[in-house]
Amino acid sequence: MKQARHSLYKWLDERLDLTEILAFARKKTVPVHRRSFWYYWGGLSLFFFLVQALTGTLLLIYYRPGPEAYESVRQITYEIDFGWLIRSIHSWAANLMIFAVMTHMFSVFFMKAYRKPRELGWWSGLGLLGLALFFGFSGYLLPMDELSYFATKVGLEIPALIPWVGPKAAALLRGGVDVSAVTTQRFFALHAAVLPALFVPLLAFHLWLVQKHGNAVPPSEELKPPEQRRSIPFFPDFALKDLAMWLIALNLLVLLAAMFPQGLGQPADPLAPAPQGIHPEWYFMSSFQTLKMFGKWFPGTAGEALGLIVFNLGLAIWALIPLYDNKRAWGLRARIASYIGLAALALLVLTTVWGYLALD
Amino acid sequence: MNYPAWDVAHIGSGWVIGIIAIFHVLISHFAVGGGLYLPIAERKALKEGRREWLNLLRKHSRFFLILTGVFGAVSGVGIWFAIGLANPEATSALIHNFVFAWAAEWVFFLVELSCAAVYYYTWDRVSPRFHLAVGWLYAAASLATLIIINGILTFMLTPGEAWLSAAGTGREASQFWPAFFNPVYWPSLFLRILVCLNLAGVWALASYSKIAKASDGLRAETLRWSARWIAPGFLLLPVFLAWFLWSLPEPRRALLELGVHTIGPGAFTQATRAALVVLVASAGVAGLVYLFAWKSPRDFGFSHAAAVLALAAAATGAGEYTRELLRKPYVVVRYMYSNGVRVQDAARFNREGFLTRSLWAAGAASLEKRGEAMFRGQCMACHTRKGYRSMRRLLAGRNEESIGNLLRTLHERKEDSPYRAFMPPLVGTEEEIAALKTYLAKLAAPSGGEEKPAVVKQIASQ
Repeated sequence: MKQARHSLYKWLDERLDLTEILAFARKKTVPVHRRSFWYYWGGLSLFFFLVQALTGTLLLIYYRPGPEAYESVRQITYEIDFGWLIRSIHSWAANLMIFAVMTHMFSVFFMKAYRKPRELGWWSGLGLLGLALFFGFSGYLLPMDELSYFATKVGLEIPALIPWVGPKAAALLRGGVDVSAVTTQRFFALHAAVLPALFVPLLAFHLWLVQKHGNAVPPSEELKPPEQRRSIPFFPDFALKDLAMWLIALNLLVLLAAMFPQGLGQPADPLAPAPQGIHPEWYFMSSFQTLKMFGKWFPGTAGEALGLIVFNLGLAIWALIPLYDNKRAWGLRARIASYIGLAALALLVLTTVWGYLALD
Repeated sequence: MNYPAWDVAHIGSGWVIGIIAIFHVLISHFAVGGGLYLPIAERKALKEGRREWLNLLRKHSRFFLILTGVFGAVSGVGIWFAIGLANPEATSALIHNFVFAWAAEWVFFLVELSCAAVYYYTWDRVSPRFHLAVGWLYAAASLATLIIINGILTFMLTPGEAWLSAAGTGREASQFWPAFFNPVYWPSLFLRILVCLNLAGVWALASYSKIAKASDGLRAETLRWSARWIAPGFLLLPVFLAWFLWSLPEPRRALLELGVHTIGPGAFTQATRAALVVLVASAGVAGLVYLFAWKSPRDFGFSHAAAVLALAAAATGAGEYTRELLRKPYVVVRYMYSNGVRVQDAARFNREGFLTRSLWAAGAASLEKRGEAMFRGQCMACHTRKGYRSMRRLLAGRNEESIGNLLRTLHERKEDSPYRAFMPPLVGTEEEIAALKTYLAKLAAPSGGEEKPAVVKQIASQ
């Protein structure tokens, strides 16, 4: 057995240069300090994405976009062996992935891991978050039940507010003047082909940057003399811990999917009145509530458009923070950036909670 | 029918038992597994002359004594209170059928608790040989408590033909042993012993993560030694689980398979889903222990132990929940339904009335009060009004006529009824069922549902 394993390794090594890869993984180190826990969130985001890719592929087998969308999801949920499980895991992993990416983003922000030379890591990460949100939005419609139908209808009214481009983009996504079976085909194409084609290369670029620059340490750790800093080899030490975190995540995922499986509402009926309390998924609640409040404070389309401008301005500041807080020292800019981070986090949480409390 | 006066809003009385029971099982199984762990570890340390390990074991035995002797014992009593209130009829049946077993169980409890205290307080005060003997006596007594309680718990799932043939004749005691050593007794016992060994390891990891010095080489060594206690469970649990499932009668297995292809009938597919959690979380415990404690014992901290414990709690909780669900629609299979109605009494209740046999409902004069009394007597064991398995949610959208049709289906309980596999028959006269219909229709109405504990007030005033 040992001999066979050795022969296999040798065979692969001659062709893939495994020894060099392992040597690189052993040489690479991960810092160990009080805040090391936050290093796992990038890996967790990756784990949930892999789960999405696997369960999404399985759902592809039975899902039929278009007029049969609802019926195919009904079959997956109520007739096909463990179809409910695959769909529930897909749905929960989507939510957990966005949660993990957001947590990863804030931990990177507060550790100031966006500073030189990691700016591209920050921007590619933001791009991945944006695509993940788009994955969530496009996937939400696919069951085509009444809740997903009306939530998408409301959701598409937001980009329609952007002058000139907005209505055209919304119509392009809808495939007509209203959300319909055609929209599920378009959203499906986006969800299962276009978005993965954009996401995977960007993810590869992001991971390559992480490998290239390694893990950043928080400023408090940077101030320590090198001999006081601790680190562990990436392989096998950190990789094993990462694997353990994945195992915990898998258990959480199965627990949620098993105890709170994703059900299916009534089929979408465009002629029926919208059910009460229509709202977007939790990760869009903050922007939804912000726009709603601007619309209330400044009645008319101008209010919502103003909300959209303010919201996008905030996003731009968030994205450009590496250009502002670009010194290694813990100076005024670093402090201001941290306050911006705290304010953004507080605003995100408060407007989300507010959004839920303000539902009918 | 006994007094169903315990009205727990939101979660229902079943979950009160469940919450206490999950907590209790996590500790009581540790009490058995840890009872073996301590003398085996002590014997090894003595044999190898490891004074520093003995000191660590002394600290661990303190943790063990407090956890099992205080929290384990108190939660055990808590279960008695809870089951007595939630299902007095079933509790009474278990006590009467197993008088000898309960007596023996409590004797062993006393021996167990005494030995645990003596074991901890006599470290370095008596000869090592005597101290070790106390440890072994504890292990034997705690194992005996498991051997006994396993007979009673498995009896509820598979009472066996011999006992069922004597049930209700007054000669039940003559079938004590067949009832005790019922069809799933042995696989269940071995499963529980494996869980005990697992929990001995898991709790030892939690204990050592706190009591052993981080820089100490002994800490890493004992963590790895404790991690080994997970191995038998990881390897053999699938075998005994398969044996357990194979020993179950077909209708019980069918309940487990119901949720494979659907989440349709709501709560009734939960058995499959809970069983899935058992499998994944059990494998998760083994995986985490391997990755955290076996591969990186030097970095192992309490947060790692807490993660392992949380998974162990999920596995244990889901396991007990699955076992409970597999009994549906009975509390003692084929003898007593989950609402405390005996199978043999159903026809009589239909003929003579359910409420006429329920003294606590004697004062319920109005139609609505009689309906509420029916709800308390026959529905409340599993359903709440607006919380867990909410009647309002389950009946939403139905009018009085539709509710009446559903009650008719439950009452007739035909062979092809979709509810037959997991819900008891609705018993009572036409008038009583009509009263329940009125009560439920009011409860399900969008404006209705305010809780009116009229019967409880009445009982209190009598």
